[in-house]
Amino acid sequence: MDAVEKANADRQKRWAKEQKIGEGTYAVVYRAREIATGRRVAIKKIKVGQFKDGLDMSAIREVKYLRELKHPNVIELLDVFSSKTNLNLVLEFLDTDLELVIKDRSLVFLPADIKSWMAMTFRGLEFCHRNFILHRDLKPNNLLIASDGKLKIADFGLARDFADPGYKMTCQVITRWYRPPELLFGCRYYSTAVDIWSVGCIFAELMLRTPYLPGESDMDQLKTIFRALGTPTEDDWPGHTKLPDYVPLGQFPRTPLRDLFTAASADCLNLLSKCLIYEPRRRISTKDALNHPYFFALPYPSHPSKLPKPAAKANSSHPLDEVDGNVDLSGLGPGVKANPPNKLKRKVSSDELGSRSIARRLDFTQHR
Amino acid sequence: MVILSRHDHHRCESCIDRLFTLGPAPCPVCNKILRKLAFTPQTFEDLEVEKEVAVRRRIAKEFNKRMEDFPDLRSYNDYLEEVEDITFNLIHDIEIPETEARIAAYRRENAALIELNIQREEQYNRLLKEQEDAERQEREHRAAELRRLEEEEREEREKERQELIDKLETSDKDATRLVAKSRADALRRASARSTAAANSFQSSSKLLRSRAAQNTIVPDAPHVPLQDDWYAYEDMYILRDNYEDPASEAVRRDREGIMKAGGYRVEEAWERALRSAIAGLEIMPAEGIRTVGS
Repeated sequence: MDAVEKANADRQKRWAKEQKIGEGTYAVVYRAREIATGRRVAIKKIKVGQFKDGLDMSAIREVKYLRELKHPNVIELLDVFSSKTNLNLVLEFLDTDLELVIKDRSLVFLPADIKSWMAMTFRGLEFCHRNFILHRDLKPNNLLIASDGKLKIADFGLARDFADPGYKMTCQVITRWYRPPELLFGCRYYSTAVDIWSVGCIFAELMLRTPYLPGESDMDQLKTIFRALGTPTEDDWPGHTKLPDYVPLGQFPRTPLRDLFTAASADCLNLLSKCLIYEPRRRISTKDALNHPYFFALPYPSHPSKLPKPAAKANSSHPLDEVDGNVDLSGLGPGVKANPPNKLKRKVSSDELGSRSIARRLDFTQHR
Repeated sequence: MVILSRHDHHRCESCIDRLFTLGPAPCPVCNKILRKLAFTPQTFEDLEVEKEVAVRRRIAKEFNKRMEDFPDLRSYNDYLEEVEDITFNLIHDIEIPETEARIAAYRRENAALIELNIQREEQYNRLLKEQEDAERQEREHRAAELRRLEEEEREEREKERQELIDKLETSDKDATRLVAKSRADALRRASARSTAAANSFQSSSKLLRSRAAQNTIVPDAPHVPLQDDWYAYEDMYILRDNYEDPASEAVRRDREGIMKAGGYRVEEAWERALRSAIAGLEIMPAEGIRTVGS
């Protein structure tokens, strides 16, 4: 046994797999324990060797960026080892995600709770941006919640570092409802502002308890955005008509946010509107957002331990959404996630409350 | 009505009005200068009790330490004993100057804690009030909902009656059977309504109460924008507005305007290059490498 093999075997021995909790095209997720401490972890086993292109792109991205990021509001990659032909990622085990929290109608949100979740999201994202990493797939279901209530950004399967000047990036990223208009217009040169738009949509969703901009297709997504926020003019967003996939979609008037968010404070709406500014360069940055008066005003953000959480369910059906990034992909590269074959995936599961795992399973068979 | 002054000489209300209308005046019994404000309405018939209540009220305001302020039960009990001693002395006029000195000393030593405990008390009261408000709102809400339901029910009954009459008029079925069927329907609907209403209310009020109870245990802290101590070398460089950078020239010129419209920022690339350059500055070169050519 050479030194590398030995090191790998030593690492592998630190973790004990317990139970399979999810499976997708590219990965199987197990619940596991650290042998020395008994700490709960999740092991994501990435299947290698059965695909001609080698390792799945999102797995490479995930390892590449999570290795660099260590922050209370970003999921922690504890270890990586290989077993036979598989690659194993050892991740922090997290109880639930923000989507499940939003959907659980038995939970009551206080304004302070929303403030707390938003602050944690912005803190995690600020750390990514400070490290020159774009997340590119923020949505409630990728914001995981630990048992102590702390929110952690997960699923870096679509993340990338900032592009060098003049290098193109794909516009087929970010789940549609959270995708900013510049990406919908096919823009290939963008920045941190794309993630801010997603956070704005999540912010609105926390207040409404339902997705804010649920478009049914990419074209309809733009219309949905314009119906809510008004069609942008050349003043609102200089140059947007020159973007590659620009099409005029008709004029929609701007409705004040106040009409929809009747209970929100003025500070709150001010921050929301700054996250949803059409011109990406004027959209608020994570640093400025964290210093926005909304966060300093009363009520103080709820202590994480007091945030509402769905009641614990039987362990076998426990959803671990870290698996999501790989499970959803059907082998067409990162673009797939933004254009899922089952376009109304979330709607399907929301119609049948509590049958989330069943909806997932249907998804898998489709890809096989 | 009898009114009590702080130095135990009581007067009736009309006498006080007469004596003190022109501001401070000497007490007719002991000649001490008094103000009208020093007289408070008497609650208890027994003046001893009245005095004790006043003394205890005064003492409780400052001697407000709680059990959790002490390391063990023993010291807490000692403290309670001391408070009781002081109270006893004040009530029975024993060693008044010494006792007052003890109170003053205590006040000096524990000013911060006293203030903190006052705040704690206020916060607790505020929470109680909030909870009461929420419950009251809930009750009102429930009453409104009940009224609405009753109204609906009444309308429905009216409608059913009308339907039944219509049916009896037009249908050729047996009249008793039609009546029985409509009765059964009405009963079923009524029971469904009442269970639904009961469910929806109970849950939300219970939840609110449990959230309010939690608030007293873990306090919410004010917002702190950044909570990590990850060092990004920000103090080691200043990003300029512009750089001589041939590689990004086309991007900065942005003839079609698509860079600007898409939000791409050349500054972010510059900052990254700068930080990468600086991050390695403090790392010492590896030792033991021979310099080439020597």
